[in-house]
Amino acid sequence: MGNSLKTYTLKHLVYILLVIIAVWAGLFYAILLDEVYDNVDDGLKNQKINIIREAYADTTLLNIQDFGINQFRILPTDTLLKENRFSKELIYMEYDEELEPYRVLRTGFYAPSGKPYSLEIRTSTVEEDDFKINLTVSLLALYIMILITIYVVNSFVLKRALKPLQSIVQSLQSYRFGSRNSFKESESSVTEFIILNDKLKEMIARNEELFHQQKVFIENASHELQTPLAITINKLELLLDDPSLTEKQLTEINETKKSLHRMVNLNKSLLTLSKIDNRQFEEKSIISVNKVFEEINDDFKEILEFKNLTLLYKNDGEFELNASKNLVTILLSNLFRNAVRYNKENGEILVSIDKNSFKIANQSNLPPLNPTIIFERFYKYSDDKNSTGLGLSIVESIIKTYPELDITYSYEQGMHVFAIRRK
Amino acid sequence: MKILIIEDEPELRKVVQKSLEDSEFLVEFASDYASGIQKIEDYDYDCILLDIMLPGGNGLDILRELKTEKPETSVIILSAKDSVEDKVTGLDLGADDYLPKPFHLAELHSRINSTLRRRKQNGESSIKYKNLEVLPEERLLKVNGVDVNLNRKEFDMLYYFIVRPNRLMQKTSLAESIWGDNIDQADSLDFIYSQVKNLRKKLKENQAEADIQAVYGVGYKLV
Repeated sequence: MGNSLKTYTLKHLVYILLVIIAVWAGLFYAILLDEVYDNVDDGLKNQKINIIREAYADTTLLNIQDFGINQFRILPTDTLLKENRFSKELIYMEYDEELEPYRVLRTGFYAPSGKPYSLEIRTSTVEEDDFKINLTVSLLALYIMILITIYVVNSFVLKRALKPLQSIVQSLQSYRFGSRNSFKESESSVTEFIILNDKLKEMIARNEELFHQQKVFIENASHELQTPLAITINKLELLLDDPSLTEKQLTEINETKKSLHRMVNLNKSLLTLSKIDNRQFEEKSIISVNKVFEEINDDFKEILEFKNLTLLYKNDGEFELNASKNLVTILLSNLFRNAVRYNKENGEILVSIDKNSFKIANQSNLPPLNPTIIFERFYKYSDDKNSTGLGLSIVESIIKTYPELDITYSYEQGMHVFAIRRK
Repeated sequence: MKILIIEDEPELRKVVQKSLEDSEFLVEFASDYASGIQKIEDYDYDCILLDIMLPGGNGLDILRELKTEKPETSVIILSAKDSVEDKVTGLDLGADDYLPKPFHLAELHSRINSTLRRRKQNGESSIKYKNLEVLPEERLLKVNGVDVNLNRKEFDMLYYFIVRPNRLMQKTSLAESIWGDNIDQADSLDFIYSQVKNLRKKLKENQAEADIQAVYGVGYKLV
């Protein structure tokens, strides 16, 4: 399972926003700080002009060689610094006895006497640093808030917007092919969802219709075959009564009749299959699988004896189903018939029934079968002429009619095992 | 015994008619709904073989009509549509039996026989052949008046034979009619052989005058 559309969208939205907002906040922070220091520098430059102007007016100023309350000092120098040079420095403050950040401007000028002086002006940036911290904290808070808000709002909006999609998906999941009413329509005011819903409905209706037509076709074709088959077989039967026929002729007719019988059986199986698929065995009652099996077993008694097969029947409790007796009989007969048909000489059949399962196992000369294909229509092991290739398909169709049941095939200790279990 | 076949498929009608006439039944036929109704109103029959899908109407309506007018007549529904619903409706309406197409003629004979026998209120309820007497209701065989113990399938087999003595009973029909699709065609010949052998042994042990004879490789007949 992948992520839901909502989670997927939110996840990607959050990833992208995390990066974009982070970059944006970083830039904002950098620009803002740059502006702040620019202001400080501008102030220092302005002060420089004022000081130099004052120094021209009052040359005693040229003697301020220590930072005092003026926050500047003027020193005579040999090498004149023409440009403004800014730096950040930590300077000891007596007041709180520690180093504090300062912005320092170093430059130089000529006194009216023509002597070169260097000028240092400094200003405390404690306030600016506080601002920097505040800015960082606010930005971080804003960053987290924006992310949370976007997540919550989107999650809410997406949930609402995708609700119809969710109900369409749920409908599709509960839809079973063959019962078109199991697809429930979803209400929505979003065009795309309305179209999706309508198109799905159309598609399902079309498929169901096609499938239905095909089933009806198979059923009708099989029905139409019954009468000509009846006529042909019965005519051959009449012919076999003719005393003037030679043995060779009798045998030939008999062989023909046998082939026709194969066709009749095939046709019957096809009809049974389409009847099951068309749900024509709807009458349900509480059926004891044990009893049905015992009845079938009675029918097989002579055949088991004839083939010298041993049946070991373990009755560990009543397996009761709310099902059609006809279907359960067909189901168990088909499994039992296979267990007899593919058994080996003097072989065994094990049947065990308990409250929730029916298990039939038989010995055989056949190797383990491939469970993925044995239930397919017309699958036969090698070229078995006696098989219609539909027996296990019928079994599977019946099991599908009752969603509470499940059938499995396995090969255990040299035995082919079919197990029907209540889910 | 008079039998009416109401069936629109002429070939099937002919073949059933021929087979029944060979067994000394008097047979008449109708090929659609209207003539079927006409016949049952004008004449009396012992048994009616009724198809459900008929030109001009539904066979079940003929059955309804018949059961109000002449409830004593036996009816066997012959239908290409082996549907549980039709079968239940048919039997509820008073049909005696329901035989899906295609069927074996031997099966048809056996069903007609059982139906007619059940209907007969005061006639003989047993079938006799030589010193054999079969009592279908009790599922009993008597030879010279002495009970012979047969299992269920042996009795079914004997019943098929005794309904039409001296007629060829094909192995395939026998296997199909008694064991259904439970027995494979490949096995059926040997299987039927062994089953018939058992039955013959029992007949012989009990001094039955009748015997079951093999007819080439095709089948058996009761002689």
